[in-house]
Amino acid sequence: MRTRKTNTKYTPEDLAESIVFPVSLTKIQKKTAGKQLADARRRTQKVMTEDERMSLSIFQLKFQLEDYIQNKNFDADKTFGSFLRQYVESLNIKRKRFADEISIDETLLSQFINEHRMPPDYIVIRLEIHSNNSIPANYWFRLVEKQREHELNNNKEIRKREKRFVHRKLAIAV
Amino acid sequence: MEIVDVRTGIRKKVIITRAEIGDFKTLTKKRYSFSWKTIRELTAVYKLCIEGNDDIFGVIGLINWSEEKRIEIKLLASSAENIGKEKHYSGIAGCLIAFACREAVIQFGIEACVSLVPKTELIEHYMNNYYMQNAGRQLYLDGPNLMKLLKNYL
Repeated sequence: MRTRKTNTKYTPEDLAESIVFPVSLTKIQKKTAGKQLADARRRTQKVMTEDERMSLSIFQLKFQLEDYIQNKNFDADKTFGSFLRQYVESLNIKRKRFADEISIDETLLSQFINEHRMPPDYIVIRLEIHSNNSIPANYWFRLVEKQREHELNNNKEIRKREKRFVHRKLAIAV
Repeated sequence: MEIVDVRTGIRKKVIITRAEIGDFKTLTKKRYSFSWKTIRELTAVYKLCIEGNDDIFGVIGLINWSEEKRIEIKLLASSAENIGKEKHYSGIAGCLIAFACREAVIQFGIEACVSLVPKTELIEHYMNNYYMQNAGRQLYLDGPNLMKLLKNYL
C-alpha cells in the first residue's frame, strides 16, 4: 500500500487530522496489544461513575431511536413500550419511582410499557423534560406515529367495520 | 454532524453511509490515500458526504469485533484536497471517528470501545485531537472519553 508520498508531504499533525494508516502487527504483537487493551478497558469500567454509565445508556437509546425513526421499515419489536422500558432500565431505578418522577400512576406506566395504551402528547413532553432534553419529544412522537401508521395500514378489521358507514364512494380510483 | 469550510467558517451538515459497490470506482489511491477496492473485503467501508452532494470527502474502514464489544478503525482517509494546511474542510476525520463511536455505542452500550493501531509518530496527535487513550500498542476510546468525542462532533 502506497503511503510514503503522503507521509513526506505533510506534518505528523496534518496526517493525524486526516488519516489513519493501516498498521500490521505480528501474531505476538497482536496478542500483547489485545491484552493491553483489555486491561486498560477493565480499568475504565472500574472507575466509571453511575452518571457516566447512565449517560452511555441514554446515548445508546437515543441513537437506536434516531436510526429507527429515520429508517422506513417497521419493526414489531421496536415500539414505544420497548423503548420506554429501555429508558426506565437505563435509569437504574424502580418503575414506581420513575412514575412518581413524571407524575403518573405506576399502572399507567405499565400500560405504556406493555403496549396496552399509546401515550398522549403530554407524556412525550414529560419524557423530554425528564431526560433533560437528551431525547427530544419529537423522537418519541415519531416513534408512536410510525407504530400508528403501521397499525392503520394493516388493520383489516377497522376497514370492514367502517365500510358500512360510507354510503357512497367515488366511481373513479386514481 | 458537521464539517467546517476553513476559508469561510461555514458549517456543512454531513451524512455518513455505507459505501456502495459503485463508489469503489471513485475511491482511488490518488484522492483517498489507499486502495479501498482491496480493503472492502476486510472491513466495512463508510463514506462521508456533505448533505445534498454526492462527492465523497472522507472514507473509513471498520472491523467489528463484536465478541470484544469493540470496533476497530482499520484505516481512514480524508480526500486529498482536505489534508494539510491548505485543506478546504476541517473535521472530516473527527466526524468519521465519532461515527465509529456512535456505532459502537448503539451495539455495545456502556462497554462500547473504538480502537486503532497508530503509527508511532502520530500517537500524540491522535490523543490530543480525539481524546484517545494509550493502551500500549493500541489507542482507544471508551467511557467518558468516547462520550466527550460524541458530544464534540454530534
